[in-house]
Order: sequence, then C-alpha cells, then structure tokens
Amino acid sequence: MAFEFGGMPQFEAATCAHRSTSKALVKHNAGADVDEDEQQFTGPVPMFSLPRTDNPSEFLHQYSDANPDSKVKIQFAHGTTTLGFKFQHGVIIAVDSRASAGSYIASQTVKKVIEINPYLLGTMAGGAADCSYWERVLAKECRLFELRNGERISVAAASKILANIVYHYRGMGLSMGTMICGWDKKGPGLFYVDSDGTRLTNNLFSVGSGSTYAYGVLDAGYRWDLSVEEAHELARRAIYHATFRDAYSGGHINLYHMKETGWERILNMQDVGPLHYEYEAMKEQSMATTAD
Amino acid sequence: MSSTDKTVLASAGFHGDVLTLVKRIGVRMQNYEYQHRKPMSTPACAQMLATMLYGKRFFPYYTYNILAGLDADGKGCVFSYDPVGSYEREHYRAAGTASALLQPFLDNQARALARIPDYIGRKNQQGVVFEPISKERAMTIIKDVFTSAAERDIYTGDAVDIRIVTKDGLEEHRFPLRCD
Amino acid sequence: MSIMEYNGSAVVAMTGKECVAIAADRRLGAQAQTVSTDFQKVFQMGPKLFVGLPGLGTDAITVSQRLKFRLNMYTLREERDIEPKTMINLVSSFLYERRFGPYFVEPVVAGLDSKNQPYVASTDLIGCPMETSDFVVGGTSSEQLYGMCESLYKPDMAPDDLFETISQALMNAVDRDCLAGWGAIVHIIEKDKITTRELKARMD
Repeated sequence: MAFEFGGMPQFEAATCAHRSTSKALVKHNAGADVDEDEQQFTGPVPMFSLPRTDNPSEFLHQYSDANPDSKVKIQFAHGTTTLGFKFQHGVIIAVDSRASAGSYIASQTVKKVIEINPYLLGTMAGGAADCSYWERVLAKECRLFELRNGERISVAAASKILANIVYHYRGMGLSMGTMICGWDKKGPGLFYVDSDGTRLTNNLFSVGSGSTYAYGVLDAGYRWDLSVEEAHELARRAIYHATFRDAYSGGHINLYHMKETGWERILNMQDVGPLHYEYEAMKEQSMATTAD
Repeated sequence: MSSTDKTVLASAGFHGDVLTLVKRIGVRMQNYEYQHRKPMSTPACAQMLATMLYGKRFFPYYTYNILAGLDADGKGCVFSYDPVGSYEREHYRAAGTASALLQPFLDNQARALARIPDYIGRKNQQGVVFEPISKERAMTIIKDVFTSAAERDIYTGDAVDIRIVTKDGLEEHRFPLRCD
Repeated sequence: MSIMEYNGSAVVAMTGKECVAIAADRRLGAQAQTVSTDFQKVFQMGPKLFVGLPGLGTDAITVSQRLKFRLNMYTLREERDIEPKTMINLVSSFLYERRFGPYFVEPVVAGLDSKNQPYVASTDLIGCPMETSDFVVGGTSSEQLYGMCESLYKPDMAPDDLFETISQALMNAVDRDCLAGWGAIVHIIEKDKITTRELKARMD
C-alpha cells in the first residue's frame, strides 16, 4: 500500500477533476478506510475542489502574478522577514508584520507567528493562506497526538507532519517557508520546512524576502552564549534592518522566546516607524562619544 | 452583500462566484443553527469563510470579502480576506478595485473611529487626541470615500449600499454616487 | 515587472490660493532593495517653477539635466523666466522626440505664472500633456495618491493648509506602497517665497 495520510486529500488529479465540480466544494472523506497501524493523522480534512483541466495546478498559475500577460490577477500575500535562532536560554523567534499584494501594502498588522500550542510556534512566509491553513491543520494533528499518546509531540515530529503534508502537494503551487520552533524532551527545537519539501534543523534560520538583511545582522552578533537581553535585542535589530532595506518587509515586530516552560511573548506589535528614529538617535549618541 | 442581523458580508469580484459563495455560506449558517440551536457568531463565521475559501485553493472563488458584525462580547469586528482565505481581524478595511484609493484615507481618518490600541495611533498625525467616532461621523467618512472612489475608479459608481450593525439590529441605507 | 516600477517613486502637486505645492518621496530602490533614501525627484526650474520626475531614476537625472539645458537656452533667447504653461509644452515636445524609445518618466510641473496664478500639470512618458485646476500625481503610488487627494483636496487653500494637505496625502499614500516612501520632501511656492520642508516619515 502506498504511503498516505489517513484523511488526506487525494491528488491523483484525474479522478478528482472529473467529478462533478458542482458538488466538489468541500468534501469530507472522514470515512476513508485506513489501516489502524499505518494511520497517523485522522479527522476530516476537506477535499479541495479542482478545476476541470488535465493539469489543475497549471490552471491557477496562468492567473497568478507569475504570468504577466494575464488580465485577471489573483494576487496572494507575499514578502516577509522572519528569523529564529537557538541559544543557551532557548529559542528566539521574531517576525515583521507586512502583507503585500504586488507592490500594494495589503496590511501592516499581520500576525506571522502562529501559536500552535503553548510549546510550539510556527512562522509564516510565502502564501499567507497556505501558511495559516496548514499550520492550523498541524495544530489539530498535534492536539490529536497529545490525546492519543498522553504526551506532547516532539518538535521533530510536528515539523515532519507539516513537511509530509506539503510534500504531498508538491508541484501544485503551494508557497510556504516556515520555521517550527518548540521545546520537547530533547530541549529547544528549531526546524525549517518549506513547500518544496525541504526540512532542516539548525541553530539559526531566516526566511523571506528580507532574510538576507536579517542574516547579515544575525551573523555579526550571534553567539551561543548570548544573554537573554542580548538575544532579544539582536533579533529585534535584525528584523528592523530588514524592514529598512527590504521593500516588502515592514510594519511591526513580534518577538517570542521559547523556554522550557513554553513560549513567552516578548514584543507585541512594536511599530518599526518610531524604532528607526530610536536607533538613529543611538547612532548619533555613540558617534558623539567616540568624537570626544 | 448578504447578512443576518449580527453578521454582514460584503463581497466584490466575479459576481457569479459571489452569488455561489453567499448561497453556500447561507446553507452552512442555517445548518449550524439547526444543529446547535443558536445562530453562528461572527468570529465563527469568519473562520468558516476562511476554510471555505481555502477549500477552493486550486480553483479559487474570484472574490474579495469583508465580513463584519458583532462578536460574542458585543464588540464590533471586521474580518478581511484574500481570495484563498487568508484572514485577519481588523478595525477597518477597503476591498475591491478601489481598495488602493480608499485604504490610505481610512488609515488617515478612521483609526480614531475604531479606538485602536496605542501601538498604531492615527497615522502621521502626532499630538491628535483620539476620540471614538460616532455613527454619524462614520457614515460621513464612508460616503466621502465612496464619492472619491467613484471619481477615479471606473468600476465604482451608481450607488453605495451601507449596512450598520448595532446591538439593536441592522440598518440599511443606500447612497447615490455619480452614475457614469 | 514594469520598468516604471523598478526604482519606486511618488510625486504629487496641488494648487492653493495664490500658492502651489509639490511633494515627492525620497526612495531609490532596485526593485525590493532600498538603495538610497535621499534621492532627488523634484527639480527647481525657475524662481517659481518646479518639475517632479517620478519613474525610472536614471532617466529622472538625465531628463532633469536635458530640461535644464533647454530651459537655459529658452531664457537666454527670451531674456525672461519661462511660464509654467510654456514649461509643460517644452517637456511635452522634448518627450515626444523620443516617441519610440521613451524616457521612463511621468513629469509633474508645478509653479506660479507671471500673474502669480497657481498652475499644475503633468504628462505621460511620451509627452501627452494634462492640465488640471486641482492636483496631479505620478509614480508607483499614484492610485493611493488619487484616493488621498480626491478626498482631502479643497480649492483655494492657504499655504499652511496646503502644506498639511499635501503632506498627509503623500505620507498616507506611500505608507500603502512597498516601493515608495522612506522620507518625503515638500516645496510650497508662494509669490514672494519658497518653503522647503523634509518630512519625518516611516522608514519601512
């Protein structure tokens, strides 16, 4: 039997595509027969309705911003700076809050950190709907794991559930670059998962259009033995510099600290507008002291 | 536009998809009420709409939606969406072909109206005292922005439908715009 | 990607009572990457005349220099300052010379004429002129600017009022545009003085 997620939608496209689309809106296949031993994930996941063409993913592609000739434009939120790093006191996650559609700023107040549960956080980059929908599915799977096994899911397992889901949809045009961060038996955990199916773990990641700028700041200041305050300031500065240089990042900064006791929210929507002038003032002050 | 007495949906884009979407939402809200013996709350409806839109991720509804109403605490809420169901609770939002014309003006004028938390404040206006905006002021702002949009956006005009949700129920208004 | 959106820009001009204002953002980017935050897009072309050049940055520099050259030739020949109305015609014919390989700029002209009457006008990139009595806009934020100006503008504003209006229009417009912003500059032109102010804006 081919590997499958119980309850996951089937994308042997032809079968789906030729079903009557008038009924195809949201189909539940909760009753799908699944071998209990192999079953990992349950619960109804909606069946996606597909365009009735030979290649469903091509259909949407022709209307997306990837195709400049199309007059009908369906633009999805893109552009982001997110970062995460492990250090001696846990994991830091920081993100900006801008959502753009083309060059238009759709929102400056997006929550790009998804609180999966008190010990797990996910970050959003790429398609906003893709990230929030699938990380919500992930939250459900993590809760079911807890109920079945009587203990919390590991960060490695949680991130692998997400990686497996998006791998299932490879080539369908999902767009997400996410970090799954948490604390389990092994201590702090940090994984990078993207819609190509990549899943990596490391001490430091940054994802999104502003990531190169954030990496620049992080690499200059990152050490394992950073103090808590130093770590918070490093993450805040990295996001700030990314919002300054990258046109598609901006808005506010959200910063989380993952500890043994679960995550804690350190910065709640700090506006980068005034923050720029705080940093400018600090620059001038330090220049004045060096001049003396 | 479609509504119950606590929840209103404004939907722009391809009208065929709008009609289908509104119909399907109506069905699910009815079923919910029969099964749970209470009407669906606005935030619940908001999450439902997100899931419904994402259900057509690979063949989207070509619609730009705003859902508004009162939440469980009786507070006003506005939910804005992209066509595939990414959504956010906000204080104000403009959507559709004239969204880029209207949204910056709302940023400038409407923040005070919504009693926005300190971290946002009225945009680019320092030292302004923020007072919650009255219903009359809100109506004035809405009429003004739509009059402006009708001047410059060829797809906006004829009339604007306005619905006001309060604890006492739903009010409906229609305000004429330029008709060319 | 459109070449008009490569660098990002926003320019707006407005008329008031015996005064005009012209304002622009300060960003020069290479698509998403912000390269400079003190780029000049508005150029003084006479004692009471300014030209704003939103569009491709490199062409804004070239066009400003070539316009200045033609303007100097005009002043030398005529021995008087150019009228704003004449300026827009000069700009227009200059751009149409490059009809099939245009400069990628959409000039905005703002000034007071010899009778101190306010004048604003703009052209497209191949020189089609458009005169208005209220305001003109250009650049990547033009939709946002139209929305702001259409609802904030009222005729016959005093210089102070005009400054506040054009500043609010520009700042709130670029705050909804990824490619423009990072500071702004405003020139208010009155019959006996020019006031130039730099605005403190969001830098994201």
